[in-house]
Amino acid sequence: MSPSRHGARYVGQPAPRVDALEKVLGSARFLADITLPGMLHARALRSRLPHARIKRLDVSPALAIPSVHAVITNDDFIDHGSYGFPVKDDYMLAHEKVRYVGDAIAAVAAETPEAALAGVQAIICELEPLPIVSDVTQALDDDAPQVGPDRADGEHPNFLSRSIVNAGDAAAELNVADVVLQDEFSTPHQEHAYLETEGALAIPTPEGGVVIYCSNQSPFINRDNVAMALGLPPELVRSIQPPVGGSFGGKDDLNYEASAQCAALALKTGRPVRMIFSREESMVASYKRNAMKMWVEVGAQKDGTLRVCRFRGLLDSGAYASESPFTAWRASIHAMGAYRYAAVDIDVTAVYTNNAFSGAFRGFGNPEVNFAIEQMMDELATKLDMDPMDLRLQNALRLGDHLPHGQKLDESVSLVQCLDAARQKSDWDRKRREFARHNASNEIKKGIGVAALFHGLSLGAEGADYAGATIRIDDNNRIILTSGFTDYGQGSRTVFTLIAAEVLGVRPERIDMLRPDTDTAIESGPTVASRATVLGGNATRLAAANLRHTLDLAAADLLGCQVAQLVRDEETYIGPEERPIPWEDIAAHARSLGLQLSAQGRWQAPSIHWDHNAGRGEPYFAYHFAVQVAEVTVDMGTGQVQVDDIWAVHDLGKVIFPQGAEGQVYGGIAQGLGYALSERIDYVNGYLQQTNFDRYRIPTAPEMPRIHITLLEDALSAGPFGAKNVAEPAMVPTAAAIANAVAHASGRRIRHLPITLEQVLLGRNLMRPATADRARRGLLL
Amino acid sequence: MQITFSLNHQTIEIDAPADITLLTFLREHLGVTGVKDGCDVGECGACAILLDGQLVNSCQLLAPQADGREIITIEGLRAADGGLTDLQRHFIDDGAVQCGFCTPGMILAGEALLAKNPTPDREEIADALAGNLCRCTGYIQIFDAIAATARERQAQTTTGERP
Ligand code: FES
Ligand code: FES
Repeated sequence: MSPSRHGARYVGQPAPRVDALEKVLGSARFLADITLPGMLHARALRSRLPHARIKRLDVSPALAIPSVHAVITNDDFIDHGSYGFPVKDDYMLAHEKVRYVGDAIAAVAAETPEAALAGVQAIICELEPLPIVSDVTQALDDDAPQVGPDRADGEHPNFLSRSIVNAGDAAAELNVADVVLQDEFSTPHQEHAYLETEGALAIPTPEGGVVIYCSNQSPFINRDNVAMALGLPPELVRSIQPPVGGSFGGKDDLNYEASAQCAALALKTGRPVRMIFSREESMVASYKRNAMKMWVEVGAQKDGTLRVCRFRGLLDSGAYASESPFTAWRASIHAMGAYRYAAVDIDVTAVYTNNAFSGAFRGFGNPEVNFAIEQMMDELATKLDMDPMDLRLQNALRLGDHLPHGQKLDESVSLVQCLDAARQKSDWDRKRREFARHNASNEIKKGIGVAALFHGLSLGAEGADYAGATIRIDDNNRIILTSGFTDYGQGSRTVFTLIAAEVLGVRPERIDMLRPDTDTAIESGPTVASRATVLGGNATRLAAANLRHTLDLAAADLLGCQVAQLVRDEETYIGPEERPIPWEDIAAHARSLGLQLSAQGRWQAPSIHWDHNAGRGEPYFAYHFAVQVAEVTVDMGTGQVQVDDIWAVHDLGKVIFPQGAEGQVYGGIAQGLGYALSERIDYVNGYLQQTNFDRYRIPTAPEMPRIHITLLEDALSAGPFGAKNVAEPAMVPTAAAIANAVAHASGRRIRHLPITLEQVLLGRNLMRPATADRARRGLLL
Repeated sequence: MQITFSLNHQTIEIDAPADITLLTFLREHLGVTGVKDGCDVGECGACAILLDGQLVNSCQLLAPQADGREIITIEGLRAADGGLTDLQRHFIDDGAVQCGFCTPGMILAGEALLAKNPTPDREEIADALAGNLCRCTGYIQIFDAIAATARERQAQTTTGERP
């Protein structure tokens, strides 16, 4: 009864996004659109210093304001509200110290947002400044101010994590290689810039618990954090997710803090409490993509065969660990690129500083290392007088190869096909030649560049990898589907709907895919690392198959035949006597037989193992492969870079929701474009210089290049219908491809993002006048 | 201050505080939550409305400035039968919606463009959206939806289906 035998009816076919209707009508209720009777407004007092001891905190002046109903500090939480994973180093409200500008210290609930702000401004908060470290290369100096927590193991307190990959004898290989290249690269912080800012709404319940509405990524983690911080049993905390206005990895920690703060204030006042961040508050306080410094050495033979990669990365985690240890680990795994080597020696170290803090962001360390290694490939090609495409083809990982990490690649390895397709679709060979000729005599230069990637699916050795789904048929014969995964715009609810429709043989319109809610869904771990399609898709597939089995038994009973004799015509069941029975009648018959029309599915990812000390093992159970080519125009008079076209070739295993898959690629490329050219974040002495969209410039519509997408389908047996994920890899290679194209056009190799006018013209970034004011003003302090 | 204006085809007489933005007034006082707050400084277009047919950012106006004007928000954009407009349907069909936070502003920007220029090319569409940020879609499918709507309206005009 495998649907694919007859060609898929819903999977891979054009379908609308399940939540598009309410969004085009403007009726979707985002968090800030939910208002309740008696609801109070909350606001946090945030630190105006990058590092300080809290000497005195007196909230009584705030409480004296008539419309202020409650003020909380870390004393209102169990264990001062300590939370964090994998390192428990953060607090729901700062305890003893603040470690970055924007660190939350106290929270006020009042009748109006204005009164809440007045309350925040009335709090007496004396801060004793502490020395800061904001340069990542000084964080581990003996005399560096301590940012990280005390530690007993003798490591520097600002040391957070080290991740290594080891293969062969890198030192020996570097000695004997025909060519060795060495360079330094850096990538800056990046702001997620979701159009909807953070926030939470907490409603106290009659039994002493709390219901949280929050646009977070992982409702179950939110529930557990709130329960822990308030000392409530998890059953008394329910976390529900309204529509989420974008996330990209960014709606974890700060939203957990906002949830716990609102929950504590709601319990204290007995009223619903809502907190919505202003844009400035969001930009100053929220975590960013980690800034990273990288030192790379590659060695190769004269004929272009890669031999060795040595890579040192220093990752700025900022004030707290958040998910930086995972980001650093993922960066280390992907640092050498999607190539064969005789030896690698990779070390990515994460450290604490007073630069706000960093955490999960689409790509999770891979866009950073890809920017370095893919430029090294082009530098090597130049050195060896080879075409960059040829160099990559010669060294690309192929089916049956071993990763340098030690893992054999035995299916769905399509890098060579991606390179071939990108080369052909972009008309690479002709343009490389003709642009070189054109550029010799023109100020306005043209360039074309390529970057390739591999990207491990799901959490890998980062954590336990499983997902659950539930499905049931209600009394109106509607099918209700749940998943613990969040849809923050990427389309996973539609993906799950199409999978369930396909497996059950019912129209997708019959299915209601519920939003995540800890009371109805099964815990599925965090919605990060492009996990949703494969993990959630498989759990959905299994749940639907279990339910289908029940219906098939009922159908066979009604039709007086064996299950194997059943035939389907759209939803209708047909038995050996050609008698068609509507799907609803089968469901009714199942009920009359006393069968339960509900099922669950749980899917566990294939087991993998990583040895952190040896730096060897199987980091992920499968990999996404892709290639992007960028064509640019560079004006050598002004330094202006314009990206004209991007060809994106991605292997998705199987495309389940075509419109959604393409949307992920377009959107990923746009974020990569901003990362490459315009999204500049500067922390000067710990103060953020860009606090709203006027200075933090994400790509606008007129800046978008033409984008040509090619989706390959080299099926992954462990994927639902063969599918792999795409949300993260889409942005990984864009910046590197653009930088390589700029080098082809201008002859300038730009190793530090973003690629600004002055870098193109002068080869370096100019310092801009910096100020502490903007960040403070943004916090209204 | 007492003002009178038309909101989504209905005349409203109301007292409007002089010290709040039109965005806050629409959202918090009138419950028009399809108008979104994305930045409050006039940079993102999430709060866009049609004011006498012109696309404007409501966070950059004060509430009393609505006096005597005609305002259309996403809630006021409906086909004659009360259902989806062709542009809204194309937003769905062409994948122009991801998280949906920018969507109301984008659809209004599309309508403002098509009212002025019924046959825009891709560059004209992109320029018309320059004040509306979207972090999810990369804009491409939004261009597609607007272009498809323009083509459809043109075809209907020439066949006389639509005045
Ligand atoms: S909220 Fe008005 S332009 Fe952003
Ligand atoms: S769809 Fe998310 S901002 Fe546009």
